[in-house]
Formats: sequence, C-alpha cells, structure tokens
Amino acid sequence: MRGILASELLKIRGKMVWFLVVLGPVGVILLQAVNFGLRYDYLTDQYADDLWGGLIGNVVTLALPTLLIGIAILASMAAGIEHQTNAWKQLLALPVSRSAVFAGKALLHVLLLFVSCTLMLIGTLALGFVLGFDAGAIPYGRLAELVYYPFLAALPLMVLQVWLSITMANQAVPLTVGIIGMIVGMFGSRFDDWVPYKWPHLINAAGEPLYSVACGIGLGVVLLLIGMLQFAGKDVK
Amino acid sequence: MSKWIVETNQLTKKLGGKAVVSDVNLRIKEGDIYGFLGPNGAGKTTTIRMLLGLAKPTYGHVHIFGHELARKRIEILRKVGSLVEYPSFYGHLTAYDNLEAVRRLLDVPRSRIDQVLEVVRLTKEARRAVKGYSLGMKQRLGIATALLGQPQLLVLDEPTNGLDPAGILEIRELIKRMPQEHGVTILVSSHLLSEIDQMANRVGIITKGKMIFQDETQVLRQQARSRIQLAVSEPEEAWRMLLAHGYHVDWDRQQLTAELTDDKAVATMVAALVQHEFAVYRVQEESASLEQIFLNMTGGEGSL
Ligand SMILES: Nc1ncnc2c1ncn2[C@@H]1O[C@H](COP(=O)(O)OP(=O)(O)OP(=O)(O)O)[C@@H](O)[C@H]1O
Ligand SMILES: [Mg+2]
Repeated sequence: MRGILASELLKIRGKMVWFLVVLGPVGVILLQAVNFGLRYDYLTDQYADDLWGGLIGNVVTLALPTLLIGIAILASMAAGIEHQTNAWKQLLALPVSRSAVFAGKALLHVLLLFVSCTLMLIGTLALGFVLGFDAGAIPYGRLAELVYYPFLAALPLMVLQVWLSITMANQAVPLTVGIIGMIVGMFGSRFDDWVPYKWPHLINAAGEPLYSVACGIGLGVVLLLIGMLQFAGKDVK
Repeated sequence: MSKWIVETNQLTKKLGGKAVVSDVNLRIKEGDIYGFLGPNGAGKTTTIRMLLGLAKPTYGHVHIFGHELARKRIEILRKVGSLVEYPSFYGHLTAYDNLEAVRRLLDVPRSRIDQVLEVVRLTKEARRAVKGYSLGMKQRLGIATALLGQPQLLVLDEPTNGLDPAGILEIRELIKRMPQEHGVTILVSSHLLSEIDQMANRVGIITKGKMIFQDETQVLRQQARSRIQLAVSEPEEAWRMLLAHGYHVDWDRQQLTAELTDDKAVATMVAALVQHEFAVYRVQEESASLEQIFLNMTGGEGSL
C-alpha cells in the first residue's frame, strides 16, 4: 500500500492537482477577506460578541460547495491520468492487488482533500489575525470541528466520485454528477436526514453533528469496500 | 511441476456473445521465443489479456510457472513483464518518472531504471516528458517498463508496431538476445509471419479465435516446400497424360504444377511430355513463401 500511494503521488506531479488543492481554500479565504474587508464595520458589529464564530460561519458557507466540487474535480483528474493513455492495463498487469489499487486512488483523494481542509483552517486563522481578532479568543475546537467534520461526513461522496471516475473512461458523467451534487449539496440542509448530501452540513434531527460524521464514515467505508470488490472483478480495457 | 512455462487449457473468452478466443491450448517452454501469430482481430490481444489476468476467461485455465493464474496472480505477475497492444505511459511525466512510478510498485532497486533505459537506449532522452516522444521511443519505453522487474517471462504484444525498419531490427535483436543473456522466456505476438520467422523458435497461429497451428518454426518452414511449374502447349491434355503415367501433377485451369521430386524424376517427366509431342516452354521451380502458407492457413485473411 505504501508503494501504491508513493506511485500515485508521483503520478499527479505536474498535473495541476496540487494547484487545485491550494486554490480551493485560498479562493474561499480571499473571498471572505473581501467580504470582511468591505463590510468590516457592519460584520464586526453583527458578530461583536463572537467575532471568530462569525468568521468561521462565513468561511464554512463557502467552503462546503467548494469541497463538493473539489471532490469531483480531483477524483476526475486522478483517474484521468490512467484513462488518458489507457495506462490501466499496464498498472493492473503489475503484481499489485486490484483492490489495493482502488483503495490507493481513494486514499490519495482523501489525503488531498485533507490537505485542502487543513489549509482552509490555517487560512481562517490567518484571516482572523489580519482582521485583528483577539488571538486569545480563538475557538480552536469549534474551528477544527467545522473544518474536519464536514470533511469526514463527505467521505461517501469522495468514494462515489472516485469510483465513478475510475469506472468510466468518459469523465463527463462523473463531473456532471459532481456538479449536480454540488448544487444539491448547497441546499442539503433541507433534505431528510438519510440523504448523504445533507451530512456535510452536520444538521440532523438529533442536533448532534457527530451523528452526521458517523454516518459519513460508515457509508464511506461500505462504499469503499463495494468499489474495491467491483474493481477487482472487472475486465480491464 | 510441468515443463511448460505457460500452459492454457481450453482457454475461451466470449465477448458480446461471440467466442473471440476459443479452446486455445498454448504451450510455451522455458527459453522459448514463442511467436504468437494471427491476422488482425484473431484474438491475440484478448488471449494475452487473459494471460496477464486483465480479463477473466469465460472458460478454461491459465497456468504460468506451473501455478494457476486465478489463484496465484500476484506471485506470477512478479516474474512477468508485459507490453499490451500499444505502450501505456503517463505523458506528463518524463521517461525516468514513468519508470519510477512503476518501480515503486515493484519494489526493485532504483538502479534498475538506469539499466533498462540503457538496454532500450533511451538514457539520453530519459529526462524529457514522454508526450513529446516519437512512437518508436514510446514503444521502447514500453519495453523498458516490461523489463523493469527482471521478469522470467516477457509478454510482448506487437512490440514492433509502428516502428521503422531500423527500429524493428533493433527490437528484434533485443528480443533474440534476451533468452541467451538473461534466461528469459518470451511470448511475442505479431500479424507478420516474416517477423516471427526471424526470431521465434516456436510458433502458434491463431485465427478467428482458434489455434490452427502450434509447433517449432522449423516445422512451419518445411511446409514451404518447392514445386515445379510447367508451361506447356495444351496444358490440360498434358495434365491428363502425366496423371495417367503416375506423376503427381496439379492443374488449376491456369497452371500446371508438379510436386518437386528429384532431378531424375523431373527429367523423365519432361521427356514424357516431349515424347507425347507437347511443346515445353518453361520448367521452373516455385517455392511457396511462408506468407503464402500463412494466408492459406488463415483462409486468406492474412497479413498485409
Ligand atoms: N468488448 C468487445 N466486445 C465484442 N467483441 C470484442 C470486444 N473486444 C474485442 N472484440 C473482438 O475480439 C476479436 C479479437 O480481438 P483482439 O484484439 O484479441 O485481436 P488481435 O488478434 O489482437 O488483433 P490485432 O492484430 O488487430 O491486434 C476482434 O474481432 C474484436 O472485434
Ligand atoms: Mg492485438
């Protein structure tokens, strides 16, 4: 598995993948910088008793759709590397287990998005400092929760996009699913609790964000196992 | 353990309801350069995919190094290098990084990369992105990738596809050297008999999914026996007369041909013709080319 991941990391070099991983959070933070810059007095007045909370809330509103579309684009790019020159046949004729190859692609994807989310967290802190918020009042716990909980709750969507992108040579389908997913996901909070696109919003009847996280991890693992099995049994073009 | 490095039994693959490969019993011995020959669409690539575990046989079994592929795929593939159809590569990476991406999965020392680059003479170009390579260079990179894991069995599907004559010669020499220098067994497919004839010691011919010939290349060559072609006046009557005198001759309404026998027999045959007052214009030896045999075997759907 280490070999597979090392190989995957080498393959995404020079493919703009890392650029996108950075672009997502930087874009969100810059937009919020503009937002807070232009409406500084109004917003600091509105969030006077919880400046950091206000900032985090605003970041998360933009971060969710960015995360959803990022999931689709990154999955498609990583799989596209193999589809482009039909490298699957070479990769899968090597002494590696098919399921491990699939798991490796999924793991790489999760890893890239984890980096993105972490950059989002760092960016939020940096923006807060720039805006002159009190460094002593940083709600570290809440910040981490609001960045990493949606990330974990979105695990099934990550596996889904990876699976679609790997299975289909034509990336139009997975990308369409991803874009629709992003739009649906923006209104996710209105759905029933069982809809996975709602989970990243961390909203549920019980009012316990951890339920959404647990569902995400659970379904993510199940989808991963199904994807691994399906990929292992399939003929390679 | 059986003596075969590769052995398939009743290997069959159905695609879209049609048997694309049907009952193929491949036999490859250690040290063989096995030429896998067949016209376009015969099922060579499909068979090779099954040998590498890329496609599952609909029916039948594959044994490599005496183990069943379905059970020991990873152990077997550790000792197999392959190039299927056209070379795969990551265009945005350099040749070196392409090999490195594979090397990380094979877990062989980094020095192997320089060695295989040397073998296919790509060392100088190794730091360039592969998307800028010529077809021949990509093909050579494909072979380098196949060699990376120091395989005992090399499976090359049309490795000279798209190469110029110099490139073909180079690859051919490379393939011929391999068994002697590294004790490698090679399966090489092609739709050109002349190519196989120049490197393989054993040949399997497949057409429409069926194996129609499998033996030493020598045996195939023996079939390329010569015949004697006779140009005479009234060939049809001459044919009747010669048959009546017990000569083995053929008349296809255009040409009168006799199976080649010794010089004396040819002489008496000509004498008989003259005696019966046929005018003999020409007596010439015609050797059936391997290509002709191949075309006959595959029912005309031969190479270009
Ligand atoms: N997915 C598929 N569905 C139906 N038929 C297929 C499929 N893939 C391949 N075939 C058919 O299988 C046959 C064998 O194809 P294969 O690629 O094995 O031939 P080949 O001997 O390698 O030919 P070539 O010399 O052109 O490479 C062809 O007639 C092809 O049309
Ligand atoms: Mg082929």
